[in-house]
Amino acid sequence: MPLENEGEDWRMLDAQYISPRSVAEAVEALKGGGKDAMVLAGGTDLLVQARTGLRDPRLYVDLKRIPDLMALDISSKGLHLGASVPAAQIFENEDMKALYPGLTEAVDLIGSTQIQGRATVGGNLCNGSPAADTVPSLLVLEAICVIAGSEGERRVPASEFTTGPGETVLRPGEFLVRIEIPAPSKGAADAYLRFIPRTEMDIAVVGAAVSLTLDSSGCCEAASVALGAVAPTAILVEGAASALIGSTLDEAALERAGSAAYEAAQPIDDKRGTAEYRRRVASVLTQRSARMAAERARGRN
Amino acid sequence: MAIVVLPPALRAAVEGSERVQVKAENIRELMSTLRERFPLLEETLDAGPAVSIDGEIIADPFLEKLEPDSEVHFLPQIGGG
Amino acid sequence: MSEKKLKYVGTRPIRHDGVDKVLGKANFGADLNLPGMLHGKILRSPHAHAKIISINTAKAEALDGVLAVITGDDFPPPPSGKGSVEGPQDFGDMARNVMAREKALYTGHAIAAVAATTTRIAEIALKAIEVEYEVLEPVMTLERALAPDAPILHEEMRAKGEEPLPEGPTNVATRTVMGFGDVDEGFSSADVVVEREFTTETVHQGYIEPHAVVARSISDGRAEVYCCTQGQFMVRKYCSKVLDMDPTQIKVTASEIGGGFGGKTVVYAEPVSIVLARKSGRPVKIVMSREEVFIATGPTSGSHIRVKIGVKNDGTITAADATLNYEAGAFKGSPVMAGMMTIFSPYRMDHVRIEGFDVVVNKPKVAAYRAPGAPMAAFATEGVMDELASQLGMDPVDLRLVNAVKEGDTAAYGPKFKVHGFIDTLQAVKNHPHYKAPLGPNQGRGIACGFWFNAGMQSSANVILNEDGNATVVTGNPDIGGSRTSMALMAAEELGIPVDKIRPVVADTESVGYSDLTGGSRVTFATGMAVVEAAKDVVRQLRERAAQTWDVSVDDVEWRDGHAVAMNGHADDHEPLSVAALAGSAAKTGGPISGRASLNARGPGPGFATHICDVEVDKETGRVSVLRYTAVQDVGRAIHPSYVEGQMQGGAVQGIGWALNEAYMYDEKGKLQNPSFLDYRMPVASDMPMIDTVIVEVPNPTHPYGVRGVGETPIVPPLPAVAHAVNQATGVRFRSLPISPPRVLAALDD
Repeated sequence: MPLENEGEDWRMLDAQYISPRSVAEAVEALKGGGKDAMVLAGGTDLLVQARTGLRDPRLYVDLKRIPDLMALDISSKGLHLGASVPAAQIFENEDMKALYPGLTEAVDLIGSTQIQGRATVGGNLCNGSPAADTVPSLLVLEAICVIAGSEGERRVPASEFTTGPGETVLRPGEFLVRIEIPAPSKGAADAYLRFIPRTEMDIAVVGAAVSLTLDSSGCCEAASVALGAVAPTAILVEGAASALIGSTLDEAALERAGSAAYEAAQPIDDKRGTAEYRRRVASVLTQRSARMAAERARGRN
Repeated sequence: MAIVVLPPALRAAVEGSERVQVKAENIRELMSTLRERFPLLEETLDAGPAVSIDGEIIADPFLEKLEPDSEVHFLPQIGGG
Repeated sequence: MSEKKLKYVGTRPIRHDGVDKVLGKANFGADLNLPGMLHGKILRSPHAHAKIISINTAKAEALDGVLAVITGDDFPPPPSGKGSVEGPQDFGDMARNVMAREKALYTGHAIAAVAATTTRIAEIALKAIEVEYEVLEPVMTLERALAPDAPILHEEMRAKGEEPLPEGPTNVATRTVMGFGDVDEGFSSADVVVEREFTTETVHQGYIEPHAVVARSISDGRAEVYCCTQGQFMVRKYCSKVLDMDPTQIKVTASEIGGGFGGKTVVYAEPVSIVLARKSGRPVKIVMSREEVFIATGPTSGSHIRVKIGVKNDGTITAADATLNYEAGAFKGSPVMAGMMTIFSPYRMDHVRIEGFDVVVNKPKVAAYRAPGAPMAAFATEGVMDELASQLGMDPVDLRLVNAVKEGDTAAYGPKFKVHGFIDTLQAVKNHPHYKAPLGPNQGRGIACGFWFNAGMQSSANVILNEDGNATVVTGNPDIGGSRTSMALMAAEELGIPVDKIRPVVADTESVGYSDLTGGSRVTFATGMAVVEAAKDVVRQLRERAAQTWDVSVDDVEWRDGHAVAMNGHADDHEPLSVAALAGSAAKTGGPISGRASLNARGPGPGFATHICDVEVDKETGRVSVLRYTAVQDVGRAIHPSYVEGQMQGGAVQGIGWALNEAYMYDEKGKLQNPSFLDYRMPVASDMPMIDTVIVEVPNPTHPYGVRGVGETPIVPPLPAVAHAVNQATGVRFRSLPISPPRVLAALDD
C-alpha cells in the first residue's frame, strides 16, 4: 500500500516548534511567539488539548532541553524539583520516597507507564486542574514555585499559584522553572490518597493530602491538610489541620478532621460525582490519609 | 400434519387458535397453505419471519423438510453482535 | 461427529496474525493512505432534537483546499417500500442515520460533510457551514418518551401491535406480546411470588479502534472501500442500499479490526466517504475521533424491565410475567425482541407472558452489542430468582437446577430446546472450589446464568492447495477473536497439514463468496463448517489424484494424516503419497487443486453459561472491587481453547463494566457529558482479577467438530452476578445499573 501522505493528519504539523537550551532562550522565544506561543513540558495535557481543538498553539516552546528545568536536587535545605523532570524519574528516586512519600505517591498516580516517561509535576500544576493529583501534596509541603519571565524571576507559594479551573498566576510569557520544598523536620511525614471508581487511568473524584509532625510522645505538633477536586482549586483545610494538632491522632481527632474536611469542601455535582458524595469521600480520605501519614511519622521518631 | 404454533399477536388471524395443523412436506408448502387458509397472515408471512422447526431456528427458511409431527414457530428476526 | 482422535483441533497454536499485531505492523482502518487522498470530516448536530431549516455550504466550499461539501441532498432519497427492510434493518432509517434529512435526532447526528486536503482545513470548513435549526424538546428517557405529552420524534410512527392502534403518532415503534398458558392460574398456585423493576443505562461497546474508512470512486461509477468493519459484505450491501448502487459496483476490503462487539455491524462514515470521493474525484479518508464514536455510533439500549415470578416452596416455577421497555435511540429497532426471547429461556415454565416495547428517544440509534438485548433481561430475571432463592432459603444454584431447561423442554419463547449443557454448567459451578471458598468481611458472592441463541447464516470458504503442499484458507469474515487460526485448525485437521503451514486469509468482496458478517457468535461455527466442507472437497480430489497415479479405484484410497494410503489389498503395492507429493505432481494429474464451499449453516446450538462473582465493598466510599470471578460455559467444543477462554473473559469483563461504572450521562439538553474513556468508565486491566474459565463441552451435533457459538453468551450473566455479590456484601439489592460508588454509598445510608 502506498504511504504517500499528502494531507497530514496532525494539526500540530502546521505549527512551529522550538527547543531552547536555557531559561533565557526560552524567555526570548516566548516573547517572540506572543499569545500564540505555549510552553511544552510533558505535553500530556497540552497535546491532547491541541488535538481536540481546545487550544491551538502556533509555537511550541519545548522545556525539556533546559538543564535547570530537568534537575532534581535533594539537599539539607530541601528539594529543588525542576519543572520538566518526568514523573518516572521522581517516583523511582529512593530519597524522594523516603523524604516525601505522599508527594511521591501522588506523582506515581499521574497517567500510565508511557505517560509517566513524559509527564511532569510542573505541568500538573500549570494545567490548573482542580483535580491535579500532585497539587494537594505541594500545598501541605509548603512548596514555593519559582517562575521565570521577561521581567526576571519571582517566587509564589503553591497555595497561591492556581487561581481557578485552568487558571494560574502565570502572566503571558512566564513559565515555571522549579518547585522548592523545605526539608522535612524530624518526626514529619506526608501522605496522599485519591478516590477514583477505577484503579488507574482516571481523574481524582477527591484527593486528600496530609502532612504532619509528631513529637517523640506521638503527639501531633504540626499538621497541614489539603483537598483536591472539591473546589475551583485545591484547598488547604485549616480546620482539619487544627483538629489534628495537639492530638495523638486518636479516632476522635481524626473524625473531627474528617468533619472539617466535609465542611470545607465546596464541590459541584458533575459526571465524576455528586457534591454530597464528594464531601463524604473528602472526610473519609482525610482520615485515611492522616492515619497513613501518622504511621509514617511514628516510624521516623 | 405439521403443527404451527402462533404467538398471541397472530392468533386473531387464525380464528383465535394457538395451534394450527397444516399438511405440508416442507416450509414452502406450509407457507402457501397458510396464505390460502388465513389471508390475514399475509403481512406476517411477507415480512419474512424466522421459523423454528422442532427447536432449530432458521432465519431464511424455504425448502426445509417437515416431519409429520414437526412443530413450527414463527419468530422475529433478531440480530447478533 | 468425528470420533477419531484429533491432532490439531483443541490445541493452542500462536495466532497467524499475532506477530504482526504485537509488532504494530498490522494494518487497521486508519492505516491506509492513497495518493491524492483527501481527509473527510463530518458536521454533527449540536442539538438532540431539531428541525433542519436550512444548510448553507457556500462559505465552506469557497475555502482553499476544500474539494467537496455534501449534505443529505447529495444522497439518493432514503429507500422506502419493497426491499427497504431486511430483518432488523430498515434502510430508510439507515440512510437518515448516515446523513440527517429533515430532522436532527440526536446530538452528533451527521448533518453535512467535507473533504479537504488536510484535516485542519476540513475542520475549518465545518465551522464555515451555516445550519439553521428549529430546536425541539429532546426526549432523553423512556419515561419522557412514553408520557402522553411527549414530543414526537417521527410523525409517522404508530405503536405497531398496540391494541387498539393509537390514532396519533407515538414514540413506541412496536409492542409485542408472546407467551403461553395462563399466568393468572400459574401465579395462583405459587407459594411465593416476587415482582420487581430493573433499569439499565445506555452503554457503549467501547471497542478500542474508532471507525475508519478510505473510499475511492472509480470513473465508471464503481467504488472501492477500505474500512474496519465486522463484515465487508455487510458494508457492500448497506452502502448499495443507502446509495442506490448495485452491490457488484462496490468492492469492500476489511482492514484488521480493533474490536467491534456488534458496534461495527452497520455503516456510518462508509457511504459518506463514497459520496465525498465521487464529488471530489479523489480518495477520501474519514477517521472518527473517540468523541464521535461515543456520540454518533450505536451503543446498546437503556432499559426498564418488570419481572414477576411465582414458585412453589420446592422452588418449581409456576408462572412468569415480564414487561420490557428498551430504548432504540433515534430510530426504531432496539433489541427488545431478543430481550423478550431470552428473558425466561433458561427456565422451564408452563405459564408465561412477555410484553415488550420498542421506544425511540433522542440518543444515537442503538447497534448490536454482544448478545444484544439479553444482558439487561437476565439482570431482571436473575435478580428475581436470587431473591426467590433467599426467600425460600434455597441455594441459588439449586433453585436454578430445579428449573433449568433440558433437551426437549419448551423455551419461554416457544420452541423446544435441542441438546445443550446448561445443567452441566450449574453442576460445574457447584463443584468448583470458588463456590465454597470462604469470604472475608464486607465481601459477597453472587451467581447468575445466561442464555444466547447463537447464529448460523451464510458463509463461504475456499481452500487452495499450493504447489509446496501447504494450503491457503480463504474466508470472507474479518478476524476479531482469533478466527483465522480456528479456521486453520479445522482445515489442518481435515487435510493433515500442520496448522502453521496453512495460511488463513480474510478476502475482499471480490475474492470469495458472500459471507454474512462476523457476529452472532457464528464464525467458528458457520464459516468453520464451510472451511471443513471446502477442505473435504480438496481431500476428495487428492484421493482421486492418488487413485489415478496408482491406477486403482478411488474407493481404494484413504486419506490419513496428510497422506493418501492405498487400501483393500493395494497397500503393499504403493507407498503412501504425501500431500506435498500430490500437490507437486498436480500439473500431471489434472491441474491445480482447490476446494470451495458456500452454505447457509443450520443448527448453531444454544449457549448457556453460569458465572460466579466475588466482590468487596468499601462501605465508606461505596467502591466495589471484584476480587474473584469464574465463568463457566458450554462451548460445544473448543477449537482453539485460548480464544474460547478469551471470549469468556472478555464478555465477563464487559459485563462487569456495565454493572459497575459504565453509563451514558446526558445533560438536560441531550448533550453527552462523558464522550471519552476518561469519563465513560470502562474497567481497566488493573481493576480486574484474572477471570477464571471453565470450558464445558457438550458437542453440538450439527457441527462436524461439535462447535457452538461462544462469543456472546459470556456477557449475559455478569450484570446480575455482580449485583448479587454486592447484595451479599451489603444487604442491599441493586436493581438499577450502574452500581457506582455514589449510588452504593447512598443506598447504604438508607
